[in-house]
Amino acid sequence: MLQKSGISEGKADYKVPGGKLIRMRVRYSGDVLREVRINGDFFLHPEEALEKLEESLKDRSLKEAVEIIREFCQHVEMAGVSSEDFIKVLKLAVKKDF
Amino acid sequence: MRLIRDTYHPAPYNMALDEAILRSAVPTFRTYSWEPSAVSIGYFQSIEEEVDLVEAERMGVDVVRRITGGGAVFHDRDGEVTYSIVLPYGHPAAGKSAKESYKVLCGGIVEALGILGVDAEFAGINDVVVDGKKISGSAQTRKKWGVLQHGTLLYDLKPELMFSLLRVPSEKIRDKMIANIYERVTSLRHLGLDVSRKEVEDAFAKGFSRVLGENMEPSEPTEEEIEMAERIAEEKYASKEWNFRR
Repeated sequence: MLQKSGISEGKADYKVPGGKLIRMRVRYSGDVLREVRINGDFFLHPEEALEKLEESLKDRSLKEAVEIIREFCQHVEMAGVSSEDFIKVLKLAVKKDF
Repeated sequence: MRLIRDTYHPAPYNMALDEAILRSAVPTFRTYSWEPSAVSIGYFQSIEEEVDLVEAERMGVDVVRRITGGGAVFHDRDGEVTYSIVLPYGHPAAGKSAKESYKVLCGGIVEALGILGVDAEFAGINDVVVDGKKISGSAQTRKKWGVLQHGTLLYDLKPELMFSLLRVPSEKIRDKMIANIYERVTSLRHLGLDVSRKEVEDAFAKGFSRVLGENMEPSEPTEEEIEMAERIAEEKYASKEWNFRR
């Protein structure tokens, strides 16, 4: 949904086959992410790291976001989800492939 | 290892005592229940997306965010037994990763079910199943003090109640989920077991004792742990700031 300010909002839920659910809520303008919220019933250790990921995706382009997510996932332990699942949900949320 | 056979507590205290024991990092196995019944949500879940808060309030059901990931769980006062285990990192069952120790610790649940005469198996990530149907789910966190894993064993199942508290995509799907739940989930009662809560707790203690190769010594939380639990129950687990943070 495009708003007057030029900021779009998007959301996507994705259940990883045989894994867990990821819910992503994003605000973005063009190809730049303004705010990203990642929820779900997955496991990620250490848990507090996810908030840092959300923060680090702010004001980043979609292409940069892919790299940030891949790099992030190398440094945490996850169960029920993978870096590519997060990227897939991001693409669904912004309704773009990149 | 300490064995704490705890009783019924409100949700904020239950979560706070698990955290207080984790902070003390004394190897401990605890069983407990919830009064009033409660919904706990995973660390990464949005409370409003997962729980019908109006319905929870109406029914007098507590809602609390866990420090562990995973999904929303309905803790029926009479429908389940909850366990928690705390291990310092030096302990072999703490493992090098969550994946490694889930497998070992969920083995304790499988063993406990075996003692009760139920043939169960670890089904990966965090579930224990009987004939492919989930009977127990667990969640783990690894903090600087050590490892905490807590989880439930279903004693009985009240799907109508559960799905009136947990948000589902639509009313139509709610009916379908209620109708189909016995294809995916089971409980001791549905397996035809007529066992008391005490027998389940005994089996838990014995099952984990065998799998961990530890003697279970009946114990109580220390005064410091209780004080800390009371404090963080109020300041953290009963607070809007914590429960509504996502």
